[in-house]
Formats: sequence, structure tokens, C-alpha cells
Amino acid sequence: MPSIVIWPIIGSWQFLLQAVWTTMVLSLLSMTLGFAIGVVVGALRTYSGRAIDLALGFYVDSMRAIPLLVVLVWTFFAFPLVIGYSLNVMTAGVIGLGVHLGAYMAETIRAGLTSVRRGQMWAALALGMSRVQAIRTIILPQALIRMLPALGSLFVFAVKDSAIASVIAVPELLRQTQVVAGNTFRPFELYTAAMLVYFLLCFPVARGVDRIYRRLAHLGSS
Amino acid sequence: MNLDWSVVWDNLPRFWDGALMTVWLSVVTMALAIPGGLVLAFMRLSKVRVVAKSATAFVEFFRATPLILQIYWIYYVLPAYFDVQLSQMTTAIVGLVCNISSFNSETFRAGIVSIRLGQWNAGRAIGMTDRQVMVRIVLPQALMRVLPAFATTWVSLFKDTSLVSIISVADLSYVSLKIRTESFRIFEVLTAMAAIYWMMGYPQAKLVDWLHRRYRVAE
Amino acid sequence: MTAGQTKHRRVSHGSAPILALEHIVKRYGALTALEDVSLNVNRGEVVCLIGPSGSGKSTLLRCANALETLDGGRILFEGREVHAGDPKSARAVRQRMGMVFQNFELFPHLTVLRNITIGPTTVLRLDPAAAEQRARTLLAKVDLSDKATAYPAALSGGQQQRVAIARALAMEPALMLFDEPTSALDPETVGEVLTVMKALADEGTTMVVVTHEMDFARRVGDWIVVFDKGRIIEEGPPKQIFETTTVARTREFLSHLGWHGESTLEAADVAPLDKEDIAR
Repeated sequence: MPSIVIWPIIGSWQFLLQAVWTTMVLSLLSMTLGFAIGVVVGALRTYSGRAIDLALGFYVDSMRAIPLLVVLVWTFFAFPLVIGYSLNVMTAGVIGLGVHLGAYMAETIRAGLTSVRRGQMWAALALGMSRVQAIRTIILPQALIRMLPALGSLFVFAVKDSAIASVIAVPELLRQTQVVAGNTFRPFELYTAAMLVYFLLCFPVARGVDRIYRRLAHLGSS
Repeated sequence: MNLDWSVVWDNLPRFWDGALMTVWLSVVTMALAIPGGLVLAFMRLSKVRVVAKSATAFVEFFRATPLILQIYWIYYVLPAYFDVQLSQMTTAIVGLVCNISSFNSETFRAGIVSIRLGQWNAGRAIGMTDRQVMVRIVLPQALMRVLPAFATTWVSLFKDTSLVSIISVADLSYVSLKIRTESFRIFEVLTAMAAIYWMMGYPQAKLVDWLHRRYRVAE
Repeated sequence: MTAGQTKHRRVSHGSAPILALEHIVKRYGALTALEDVSLNVNRGEVVCLIGPSGSGKSTLLRCANALETLDGGRILFEGREVHAGDPKSARAVRQRMGMVFQNFELFPHLTVLRNITIGPTTVLRLDPAAAEQRARTLLAKVDLSDKATAYPAALSGGQQQRVAIARALAMEPALMLFDEPTSALDPETVGEVLTVMKALADEGTTMVVVTHEMDFARRVGDWIVVFDKGRIIEEGPPKQIFETTTVARTREFLSHLGWHGESTLEAADVAPLDKEDIAR
């Protein structure tokens, strides 16, 4: 077994820490964009007519069919040609990841909304609320609580998928690890360290969400 | 923006080869990852602690880290340190199989565990051994339940194969990106790449939906 | 004043009915849930809808507060026609009607107090302090003041239903609709809910109640309407329905519930309820 040297990691620690930060920012921003898209698309698919459901279904199913790598590359290289301005890598990364994640979010939220009992909508409407008020104050909060485990696993996806942004040179953890590995010729230590960081970011989230869900589940059961 | 789609038509054979490679990688991976997942699931359910714990560690590790990093790690790290030189293709398959087996093991484990205890008891009550119950009663039912989940994993796998392009395996992504750099027709080539994936993936996604509806579990 | 069983609507009320259902037709695909149903509800009256399950009673309530659209006929509430298909008109009607559901349908993610205040604050735009004041008064009225900060999951069925009644009352509706309010309750808790409903009736609240509780209908109802297969087969004061009916189907329905044309209540069962009423 050849020697394992940790110096390359220590020496570039600031650089890599910055990269970890970028990964987190990228994940959170894409989650946020994805969530916003997901709520709108999910709610529209649940509550609007068939035509809208089918049209949005097309978006959702297309994102299931096209790999994230392709979406990111297209967003960074081809999309600017359509809109006429170039995007910086981070923007392209957030948009690509967010739009892709948004489709999965929409499905999760749709499942959550339809799992809330019909009677809850009736009770809200019976108080004189409009449909929008009912969805916003009564249905959506319950749906979100029920979806907590699914949302947690989508977060884990967001973090893992952020690594794919390395192909369009977003300075996140994988990319910067490649850079340092290229300079120091010690890929083993660096890539292993990177693996550990991702593991530490993702694994506790999945467990944590389960624990939080168990405490809050009663708030979502109608 | 003036578009020249001829670059796509001219390179159709290359796109086709790339698409075939994508399909081939998916099929081979799933063929290996289903038994792989089953083995891991049984290891996790094993009464021998060491076996259970190491299988769990393997699965949790592969599920919580990015596939793209796993592929890099296997390709760049193994040869330098463990004297193992894997070809690009082998690396790609090893990486995909380890990753997908881990997800499959979870699917199997959930499926096996979801079969009601009553089924076990019924089997034991007619005198079957635990192994017979597993093989003849529980597993067949579990397989029916897991079919929709596997279909979903397959669709994910199909997309994941695009990541092998980073180690120059000639799948659809690699081929497309190569054509792009050669021709400079960025928009046309990238859109064609997306469109081809869409044409392959969309029907599969709809098929998965159908499977989920058809095999909905009724207790 | 205890609701008189001999009060006849045409005699006591000169004003127009608060709710008038005219030739209502409601279909679900090939199934006709309501066929040419006409019914009036006068102010201050307690109208009880009885009949076999699936005879259309609950559907009628949902049509009344515009939760369902009509396939025929029209509904007049407070003199104006109800258009379920028009969201604004529907909402205006629902604000003036309160509804209590069989499954309570309390909002599980909100505290009891918030369940009661959410209608007034969101819909009536009452300021939060006033809404809370109103809510606490209503909680005291249904005898659940100590549960204000609890979540619905911590309450028993009877307690949840009483909160649901308070929630509907918080909107200060002109008409209260009850859809089998005690059908989902354990027998021990049915009484506490019926007590609250009787108190409301005694205060003069206009109520339409779909129920299987025949004792309640007989003692608290002013007007009984018997449904069967989407039609009204008989209507009249309790005495007529429960004691002197000539309609065979009504008699058959009532006999299946164990009601043989005479009260099965002992005097002792009646007294405790009256004492509580006096105390209020």
C-alpha cells in the first residue's frame, strides 16, 4: 500500500473549503429554484384543467428523459445563443440544476397535495376561502409536512447532482478537487477526501429528515 | 441565429452508435446490478453482524456520494495506487454497477420487509423452512412490488450513463460533445443530443408510469 | 325556549325562507343523486334530513353551500340565487353559511385556536386580536377553553367536532349546516356534541341537520324531511313523521332504526340535558 499523504489536502485547504461552500450554495440555490418551480407546477397540475396538466406533464416527463449532464451543457452553451446573452457558469449551473430538479419536485408536491383528504378542501371552502387561499393556508402546509422525507431525499439528489456542474467548470468541490489533483499529483487523497465530504453532507440529511418527520407527522395527518 | 442542421444529418451514424452504446451500458449494468442488489440486500438482512454492517456501509456510501465522483475515483485512483489498470469501459461498468446495485438493494430490502409478517407465519405454519418461505412465498410477492421501483431505477440509470462520457467512453454524450467541438455548430448539435435522449427516454418514462399504475399494491 | 315540536313553519314565520331549494337535480355521471328536490328552510328553524345512506341528503347540503354545482333547478339563499359555478358568488354564500362535517375536518397543522380564527382573519379580514377574542368566547361556549393551544391530533372525536362547530360559528353565519355530525363518533362522545347542537337550536340558530340520531331529530327538530333514493318522500313536523306517518317507506326506514312509533327514552334520560340548558 503506497503512502497516503495528507499534505496536499492541508496545503490547499482554503481553496477546497471555498469549493465546499460553492457546492452548498449551488445545492441550496438549485433546491430553491426547483422548489419554486415544483410548487407552481405541482399545484397547477393538481388543481387546473386537463390541458394544463398535460402541458406541464410534458415538461416533467421531459426532465425525466434527459440527463442532467445534457441539460447543464445545453443551458451553458446553447441557451445563451437563444437569449442573446452569455451566462456565467454559476448562473447556468443553478438554472440547469433547478429546472431539472423542479420536475422531480413537482411530482413530489403533486403527490403530497393529492394525498391530503378532499374534506380538508371542502372545510376550507366552507369557511368562505377562495381556492387559492385554501391551497396556500390549508392544503400546501399539510402536504409539505407529509412530503418531508421525499423532500429530504431530493435535497440529497441536489447535492450529488451539483457535482455534475463540474463539467461546465462551476468551481464546486469536484471541479476544484480535479484542479488540485492535477497540480499535486495526489489523486487518491484528494478524491477520497472529496467523497468523504459529500458523504458527510448527504448522509446526515437523510437521517435528520427522518427524525424530524417522525416528530412532525401528526401535523400532517388529516 | 442561423441554423444549419446538416451537421446532425451528416453525423447520424455516429449519433446512432453513441445511442447504441448508451443502451448497451444500461442493459449490462442492470443485468449485473439486479443480482448485485439482491446479494447486497441479503447481506444487509444477514444475522452475521460483520456481513450486515459492511453491506450497509457499502450501500450507504454509494448512495450518498455522486456517481460522477465514484467514476473518477475508480478510474484515476485505482490504477495509481492499487496497480489495477481498468479499461475505460470496465471502469464505467464497475462504477455504474456498484452504484445501481446499492439502490437496488434498498428496493429489494424494502420489498422483502413490506411483505406482511402474516405471510411468513402462514408459510411456517404449513411446515416450510424459513428458506422455503423466502423463496416460494415472500420473494415472488416482493418481486411484484419492486417491479415499478426497478423501472424507475432503470430510467435513472439510462440518464446516468451519460456520465461515463467524462472518461471518454463513447456513449451518446461523448459522441455528441465530440461532434460539437469538431463542427462548432453548438446549438444544433447540443439540441440534437437532447432530442435523441428525449426520444429514447420519454417513452420509457411513460412506460414506468404505466407500470406503477398496473402494479399498484392492494393489500 | 325548548324547540316546540308542534311549531308549524307556515304559522310561525311570515318572512321568506332563508334557504329555498327549487326542483334540484344533481347527477354524478349515470347516477342521479338528487331528483326534483324542493325544500324551504325558515329563519330560526331546525330542519332535520333523515333517510337511508346514499339517499342524497349529504349531496343536498353540499349543493346548498355551493360546494357542488347543480344539473337542474336553483337555490335561493337570503333571497339571492346561488351560482356554484361562479367563484365569487359561491364564496359569498359560503361565508354566510357554516358547515360541520362528519369527519370533523379540523386543520391538523394548526392549533385549536388557530383553526377557529383562520376563517375570520383570512376571509373576513378581522384583526387578529378580535378574532382571538371571538374564538375564546366560542371555545368557552363548547366547553373546551383549556384546549386552545392543543393540536387536533390530541383531541378525542367529540372534542374535535365541538371545535369544528366553534370554527363554523366563528364566521357568524346566518345558517348552519350539519352533515351527519355524530356518525363518526364513539357512542360516549355523541352526547356532548348533541348537547352543543341543542343549545344552538335553543338560541334560535337556523340549522339544517343530516342525521341518524332520531331522538335528536324528534326532540330538537322543527321540521323533518325524509329522503329516499334522491327524492323527498315525506316532510312535516316531528310528531307527524315519528308518530303518525302514513307513508310506508318512512315507517319501514324508521323501524330499521329501532323506532317503533313511541319514545324509548326514560324520563331520567331527558332530565340531565334540561338542567344543563338551564345552567347556560
